[in-house]
Amino acid sequence: MLRSIAKLLCLTTLFALPALGAEAKKLVVWHAYRAEEKAAFEKVVAAFNQQNAAKGLQVESLAVPYDAFADKISAAVPRGKGPDVFIYAQDRLGGWIEAGNTVEPIDFFLDDATKSRFLPTTMEAMVYRGTTYGLPLNYKVLAMIFNKKLVAKPPKTTGELVKVAKGLTDPATGRFGFAYNYGDFYYHSALLNGFGGRVFENGSTPVLNAPENVKSIELLMKWARKDNVLPKEPSVAVITSLFSAGKAAIVFSGPWFLGEIAKDIDWGLAPLPTIDEAGGKPMRPWITVEGVYVAAPSKNKDAAFEFARYLTDVPAAKVLALEGRQSPANKKVYEDPKVAADPVLKVFRQQVEVAVPMPNVPEMSMMWSPATNAMNAITKGSTSPKAALDKAQEALAKDVASLRKK
Amino acid sequence: MTAPALQQPSSQQTPPGAEAPRALPPPPPAPPGAPSHRLRFAVGVLVASLVVTGLSWMLLSRARAGAALALEERKATVATLALADLVVRAGGSGDGVRQALAAWQQQAPAGAQAKVIAFDGLSLEAATDAGLGAPRRLQRDEKPLYDQGQRLRAAVETNREESVVRKEEVEIAAQPDGSLLLAAPVELDGQVRGMVEVRTPRVVVAPSPSSGSAGLALLLPLVAFFALALVLGERRVGLALAATFALALGVGFYAWHSVSVVVEDRRAASEEVADSVRTQAETARELISRLGLPADPPVVASSWDADAFRKPRGWLTAAGQVDAGVLAGRLAQASGDVVRALVAVALLALLLLQAIGLGSVGALGRTLVTHRRAYAYVAPALVGMLVLVFFPFFYGITLSFTDSNLLNTSRPLTELWVGLKNYVDILSDFDLSRTSADGARVANYTNFYWTLGVTVVWTVTNVVIGVSVGLLLALVLNTRGLALRPVYRVLLILPWAMPNYITSLIWRGMFHQQFGVVNHVLALFGGEPVSWFETPFTSFLTALTTNGWLSFPFMMVVSLGALQSIPVELYEAARVDGASRWQQFRAITLPSLKPALVPAVILSVVWTFNQFNVIYLVTAGEPGGSTEILITQSYKFAFEKYRYGYAAAYSTVIFGILLVYGVFQNRVTKATEAV
Amino acid sequence: MSAAPGERIPHWPLHVLLVVAVVLTIYPILWVVTIAFSGNQSLAISTLPEDPTFWDRLRAITPWPQTFSVSNFTSVMTEQPFGRWILNSAIVSLATTVVGVFLACTAGYAFSRFNFPGRRTGMMAFLVSQMFPGTLMLIPLYIILVQWLGLGSSHIGLVLVYATTAIPFCVWMLKGYFDTIPKDLEEAALLDGASSGQIFWRIILPLARPAVAVTALFSFMTGWNEFILAATFMDQELMYTAPVGLRFFVGGYSQQWGYFAAGSIIVSIPVVALFLFLQKYLVSGLTAGSVKG
Repeated sequence: MLRSIAKLLCLTTLFALPALGAEAKKLVVWHAYRAEEKAAFEKVVAAFNQQNAAKGLQVESLAVPYDAFADKISAAVPRGKGPDVFIYAQDRLGGWIEAGNTVEPIDFFLDDATKSRFLPTTMEAMVYRGTTYGLPLNYKVLAMIFNKKLVAKPPKTTGELVKVAKGLTDPATGRFGFAYNYGDFYYHSALLNGFGGRVFENGSTPVLNAPENVKSIELLMKWARKDNVLPKEPSVAVITSLFSAGKAAIVFSGPWFLGEIAKDIDWGLAPLPTIDEAGGKPMRPWITVEGVYVAAPSKNKDAAFEFARYLTDVPAAKVLALEGRQSPANKKVYEDPKVAADPVLKVFRQQVEVAVPMPNVPEMSMMWSPATNAMNAITKGSTSPKAALDKAQEALAKDVASLRKK
Repeated sequence: MTAPALQQPSSQQTPPGAEAPRALPPPPPAPPGAPSHRLRFAVGVLVASLVVTGLSWMLLSRARAGAALALEERKATVATLALADLVVRAGGSGDGVRQALAAWQQQAPAGAQAKVIAFDGLSLEAATDAGLGAPRRLQRDEKPLYDQGQRLRAAVETNREESVVRKEEVEIAAQPDGSLLLAAPVELDGQVRGMVEVRTPRVVVAPSPSSGSAGLALLLPLVAFFALALVLGERRVGLALAATFALALGVGFYAWHSVSVVVEDRRAASEEVADSVRTQAETARELISRLGLPADPPVVASSWDADAFRKPRGWLTAAGQVDAGVLAGRLAQASGDVVRALVAVALLALLLLQAIGLGSVGALGRTLVTHRRAYAYVAPALVGMLVLVFFPFFYGITLSFTDSNLLNTSRPLTELWVGLKNYVDILSDFDLSRTSADGARVANYTNFYWTLGVTVVWTVTNVVIGVSVGLLLALVLNTRGLALRPVYRVLLILPWAMPNYITSLIWRGMFHQQFGVVNHVLALFGGEPVSWFETPFTSFLTALTTNGWLSFPFMMVVSLGALQSIPVELYEAARVDGASRWQQFRAITLPSLKPALVPAVILSVVWTFNQFNVIYLVTAGEPGGSTEILITQSYKFAFEKYRYGYAAAYSTVIFGILLVYGVFQNRVTKATEAV
Repeated sequence: MSAAPGERIPHWPLHVLLVVAVVLTIYPILWVVTIAFSGNQSLAISTLPEDPTFWDRLRAITPWPQTFSVSNFTSVMTEQPFGRWILNSAIVSLATTVVGVFLACTAGYAFSRFNFPGRRTGMMAFLVSQMFPGTLMLIPLYIILVQWLGLGSSHIGLVLVYATTAIPFCVWMLKGYFDTIPKDLEEAALLDGASSGQIFWRIILPLARPAVAVTALFSFMTGWNEFILAATFMDQELMYTAPVGLRFFVGGYSQQWGYFAAGSIIVSIPVVALFLFLQKYLVSGLTAGSVKG
């Protein structure tokens, strides 16, 4: 047995050896991109490497599955084993900052010229308690996707929407004029913010049962119960399948949805309608912003920040937009004729004007569970919106308080 | 219990089922020629005294070093907050700040350095080191300084906003050269606009506690024991008591010594702090009048003796004198801590003493040698388990006694110790139902006991389904001469072969109210569609079906393997005796399956109890968290609510329940025994 | 339904039972197959036309794609180094199997045949190790494997973790099986002058083949489908295992179920192959003649 342990140790050292020969000026970047997004990202990285070959600076990228990304960052980065740069949505940002030694503040590096190159809402998503922690790379936001065969002209207001939808709905055969994953607060955010609702106030004080929130759900329930234009038990999978089968005419979803639509569906994209019931105010969905963060234990922070600047500059953004089919946070890139002519990018760019950055406070992760429970209870008709939200607020407030005591 | 002693005839000496190294097994009769009780106890007293004195000496010197460092930190905090106060009065930036800093330096101990940062324009406003060229813009390598200032600003704002003080407003870092680096915010009109950084001169290392008293503490018990042993002779009980007494004597002496040292240190320290507060206050007042700085609000020097949250520690009176009442209280607390630590060490040593004295250490050694072959067979597997399973396990248990959460991960666990509080919170909450807004009583699904009930039902039903379906199919597949057996076997293990991530979600889809095939099949036979995830019972059924489907192939394979151990001759004999098929099953098949099936059942109980994926993916706790099981609940506490300590306690409770089950099951089935 | 030979039981009821069981078992899997071959990315839903007839209803619940396409399979294999990842998985899982089964055999044998102090405690210790929920294990495991042992981004680290996860069941299973092997065999061999090593390797292990087959399959599966540790510990894309590769398709917002289904089918093929290989051991236990009485 001793011999096999010794063998094991030998193997271990063999594996460890190559790491010793690493160059001093090698940056590692972790991201969660796949398919064309990954190809475009790697193209940008290659261009950066070519440009910096003379300086001996090289960037290596590693794709990590989204489901494992946050855990991997939380395990590796604070122990100094992680990358120099990583890219992720802002929803985990607050948590990593509070945990410490994960994300490097970059205000010191940030000049006004760099700051002003981004869409303001995307920059806002990178700020936590007054300090900037990342450069916004891309954003994702909900918009309206419609089946051109069924809907000639996309509705501009909720009134039109319901009218169009009613003519196309037949629940008995599983046809719906209008469908989205309304039980999920992320999708509901468009209505919620449209009514002026919010889930946190003054940073992280929960206000899940704000009267505006109740009103927004009441409108949703009118659609689901009275107008009867929405499918029951919505889920991402059901909505995708319905739309792909031509059984849902209008869907609220984000850019990821476009790649999942069946090839034989002729679809169009338009901004979300305005809300008649809220005095014609626009729907304001949450945006998620993929930020480029410099890892706090990185040994090459200056180079890492330069790389982050390069990634978010116009030439890189153009590649990400046109080849990666992403929506860059750099606003200058939308002046490029090719990008400007792209109907999809144009609509998302329009939508982001009225969108709200999803809160990046760590308490946000506590919100989903009570909110989902409330939405399920409401959509199943077992509780009134007000009562369900009161209960959710109570649960959330308790969780937030128990985190902060002492 | 007819374990054969193939290679180890001597193993017969051990009583059957004797357990391994226990702390204090019943004393075996002294074998002839063994060393005398007196000698063993003498060795025991020697070892125990060495351990107790060594550990206590280490504890004491660490406590003194810690106290000395704490004193330096307190004095440095006073100096830093005094400087911050002056900088605020000087307006936070400009020449006034530089003058104030220069004056501050004159009264500061030699070698102390300071910097003042203003956030506007990223400026180094003033520095005691003229070579830095203040005022100027901060350079790129000074980024950590700026970030630290911003961190303090965020801390002050967060504490104010949440009205819970949890973020440090004064940062102290020990430097490799032994000096201390302190940073405090500069607050103007309620907003943090800058920062002062102070570097103290090198901290003097604390004196080691005297080795004379340690030597005495070592000698005392030995002498006492020898004297008593002379009187007592070879009487075991007497000797054990005498050794205990001797040890207590040594510990008592050293406790008295330690308490007096610690108390004296503390008293001197608080005088020293009071002294430095008075000096700083005097300098401040003098500077205010000389530089014409605003004298309003008046200087409250005692508030400079503050903790990391800038809260006054309360040891000093407003005049800067030591508050005798507070001091006495704190001293009593300190001596209590010392005594408690020493008692813990003494108990450890006592255990060691009795183990040696009563001869169990020797017995342990002999056992290891006698059964070396058996231990060698088990050791490789056990070592792997120890490293990779038991360390995380103890980490989890330690965590469960703390209030560790996302917001305090950077602080050491000892500061977050809450004892049994998490367990009390979990187990004492009997609030199984609550009154809803409209006055009706509704079940409180997040209650621990509800979830426990669901988990138990979940486990029992699943294992029953898994075992009965698996066993039934294995028996059928074991029929001799049945055509197509290999094909059936392969098709029936497919649920195990396919990643359960996708099959679980397929099952969830099959239970969809509008588009699920289950409801379509119901409709085919004229039934009404069911909203499966609307009530706890139907929602539970969906998860149960999915998990039953996922888990029977494993049981089938285990049963198939186990069925092979039954010699066919047994059935032949039974048939000759005229036994019916059912009787054969009862008398031959089931007993022969037991050795392989019992462990499989025990382990599948454990796995099902902790089956996370199916619940998470199929019901997601719907409706309203009613179908959560303990493991998914603990996941929520850890990763949605970020309460690591609480989640660890939850996990430990789960572990405890399973442990009780395991021990109980083991007693009943004697699964660890050879048949 | 017992295994008694020579008895005349009509086989057709058994076939009926097995066919029903097989249909229920593979029905959900047929949906996976349907999605995989649909060429689309959405999970299948079953919908009905207006005034559905019985046949419409039957069609709705039949897992059969409307269009046939192997594009999902080709995309999965070509877009990413999926073949390499399956190879990695195979290496890791096979190593896990070898390490796990070997350690479990020796330990199980000792527990079955030797009576030594600490035997029951030891067996309980193996059992107990399965009882602590894994929710908070990721960080401590990371500390041990990556920080202390330096086994980050190596397959050895994964093998060690998977093997220790699989060992407790294997030890208990093998111990239970060893218990059923009559001791007179060993005693006879002992009298013939065989060493204890010979007894273990030449007599006990061959007799325990069914149990070894079960534990081997189990150890293999432990490593084969594990995702989060593999994704956390591997820092190079070429080191990933197949489950990590699969999860790329459904992480986050974007959920390409067509790819995932195709990948799942590919991933389950080696398991089926292994099972086919192990089958003959599973059904070849104590045969008449090898046991006296």
